[in-house]
Amino acid sequence: MITIAFYFFAVLITLLFLVTVMSKNVLYAMTSLAAGMVLISGLFFILGADFLGVVQLIVYVGAVMALYSFAMMFFDVNKDVKEKNGSAATVFLLGGAIALMLVLVFSAPMIGQGAASLYPQVAGATNPQAVGLVLFTKYLVPFEVAAVMLLVAMIAGIILAGKKMDLSLSTTEEEILDETQGGDK
Amino acid sequence: MSLEQFKNRNVGQQQYRMLDLGKTPETGWGRFKQVLGRSLKVELLIGLGVTFGVMIRTLFRGETHTIRYPFEKIPISRRYRAIHEMKRLLESGHYRCIGCGLCEKICISNCITMDTRYDENQRKEVSEYSINFGRCIFCGYCAEVCPELAIVHGDRYETASEQRASFSLFEDMLTPIDKLKSQQEYPGFGAVSPNADENIKKTPLAY
Amino acid sequence: MIHEVTWIGAAVKALIALLLVSAVAGFGTYIERKVLAWMQRRPGPAHVGPFGLLQLAADGIKLFTKEDFIPQFSNRLIFSIAPVITAGTAFIALAAVPLFPDFTFPSWIPLLGGVFVPSIASDVNIGILFILAAMAAGLYGPLLAGMSQQNKWGIIGAARTAVQFLSYEVVTGLSLLAPIMLVSSLSLVDFNNYQAGGIGSWMLWQQPLAFILFLIAGFAETNRTPFDLLEHEAEIVSGFVTEYSGLRWGLFFVGEYANMITIGVLASVVFCGGYSDLWLIPGWLMMGLKVSFFFFLMLWVRASWPHIRPDQLMWLSWKVLMPLAVVNVVITGIVMMAMA
Repeated sequence: MITIAFYFFAVLITLLFLVTVMSKNVLYAMTSLAAGMVLISGLFFILGADFLGVVQLIVYVGAVMALYSFAMMFFDVNKDVKEKNGSAATVFLLGGAIALMLVLVFSAPMIGQGAASLYPQVAGATNPQAVGLVLFTKYLVPFEVAAVMLLVAMIAGIILAGKKMDLSLSTTEEEILDETQGGDK
Repeated sequence: MSLEQFKNRNVGQQQYRMLDLGKTPETGWGRFKQVLGRSLKVELLIGLGVTFGVMIRTLFRGETHTIRYPFEKIPISRRYRAIHEMKRLLESGHYRCIGCGLCEKICISNCITMDTRYDENQRKEVSEYSINFGRCIFCGYCAEVCPELAIVHGDRYETASEQRASFSLFEDMLTPIDKLKSQQEYPGFGAVSPNADENIKKTPLAY
Repeated sequence: MIHEVTWIGAAVKALIALLLVSAVAGFGTYIERKVLAWMQRRPGPAHVGPFGLLQLAADGIKLFTKEDFIPQFSNRLIFSIAPVITAGTAFIALAAVPLFPDFTFPSWIPLLGGVFVPSIASDVNIGILFILAAMAAGLYGPLLAGMSQQNKWGIIGAARTAVQFLSYEVVTGLSLLAPIMLVSSLSLVDFNNYQAGGIGSWMLWQQPLAFILFLIAGFAETNRTPFDLLEHEAEIVSGFVTEYSGLRWGLFFVGEYANMITIGVLASVVFCGGYSDLWLIPGWLMMGLKVSFFFFLMLWVRASWPHIRPDQLMWLSWKVLMPLAVVNVVITGIVMMAMA
């Protein structure tokens, strides 16, 4: 049963991500990306990692939604995108090499049979509790560093977006605007 | 509200009551405080209360504003100008129209067509009379000009019909002879005003 | 006494939830029209059947027989699947929602006798997050619908979908965080059991701020009136549903009403005692009453309050509601530490 479910999800996810890469239509690419991300959470559910599955859902639904809003701004979604593709051989080689490397990296523990859990599961802990225990003991420092990094990114974003925010583009005189923006005419 | 107040559409002359919205906050913190203040003052809940009260009144006291139109109609003004009616003389039952042709003459959209002839008694008889309701603009001049109160505007305002011709013939507009007794003298458009007698003045004989 | 959940029980529960919610969602359109009419001094639908009850059937026939129209230059595939996403995710979210207490079929019923039907079709131990995630994924419906239909109103509707999603989602999560900390579980059954001690033990009294924040975010999540930016007729014709007709349009509607019920259930289970019995009122009736109240509240608010602009929604979510939610979480944490 679980094997069937796994292969079902695996085939679907692979196909959807292939569409993401191959399609020239922004709408198809992003929709299949979103669908693939949602289906990946199915793999987590199969493994019994409910919490991670839902986190995958929530995080990627929001992330891809933001991507959609960029697509809406930059592309006419109902027309094909003309890709600038210099050398097909280079693209194929690079993509293939990266894919091969990823497969090797992820299958290495299986081949070497060294796939042991570094941190034993606490008996009786529910899913979120188990995640929390690992996160706040063994991986506390990386977790906090990641948090600080996100905070920095957030502040940088606010500063970038909030620059000259009190200056109204519609009511200020043009000369003043030119001066404040460095006078590039 | 009296009629005069209602008719006065000049902005600034009515007694508007201005709401005190307070000062527009300048800073972000000020706006935050304003939102909190407006939320905590229960104005939003008062709005909810108003609609709930309306719902209760509609449900249990039947205070609805709906007229279930095909089943009930509001009375229309007698001066409303709808499909024309032809009146009869109450004494003889003969139609009132004397065939003078004034209505045809005054009709600004040229929709009245009539033809007359002398009958065997050498009286004028209306042989043809039709109103093209595709053209009629219901201005009411015909009713106003009619010296005999023969053509008046009725109150049939549901003018949807399968054929335009359905309304337009003299016989269709004429009061049916068996309903002569229920023919009402029409106080509406084109009729003599109630104080007509007072308005009559002697013809000046100066010329 | 612990019952084992068989797959038959789960299937029965799923079937009941599906039928019940789609029936109630259809009936909800009738209720909405009636309540709005009463609040605007009108009688509402009154001609089809007694009290206009069969209006529902008339609308259904109209939707079924209407031409399924797909604009020429739209993206046909995406245009077709967008309504299914909305309706589908709305019902997927219901898989983890407790609708009424668990029960066992009496043994005299053939086939199903003795089958235990759980209160939740699939009691995942992160129920509340799952519901939020499924409902969030549901917003892809409006987004894709708006982007695929080659219509400027649709594009604006889609842009507003993204804006709305990015605004309220933070508030929903943070407002639910404080109750989750108190219960220290993500399972809705635990939430229900935490508040089993009558009205006094309802989460509402411990977390009034979180309750209000969650309600506001819930209104945004279901596109109800103060925040119905996606398809506001007065501004953007019909937003993302401009080009839709017939059954596809109906699917959007069913999805919206199912979402309204889900939010109602979440609010009742997390904050208002869930499906526990109260005095003499049995649990399922209590649940029905509470969900009906929240459903009514949405219609009530729609009749009473004006709606706000997208920039006001973003401002409200990020600069008012989110700080309040964070403060609420911090205070809850401090109080919990002090109590422990």
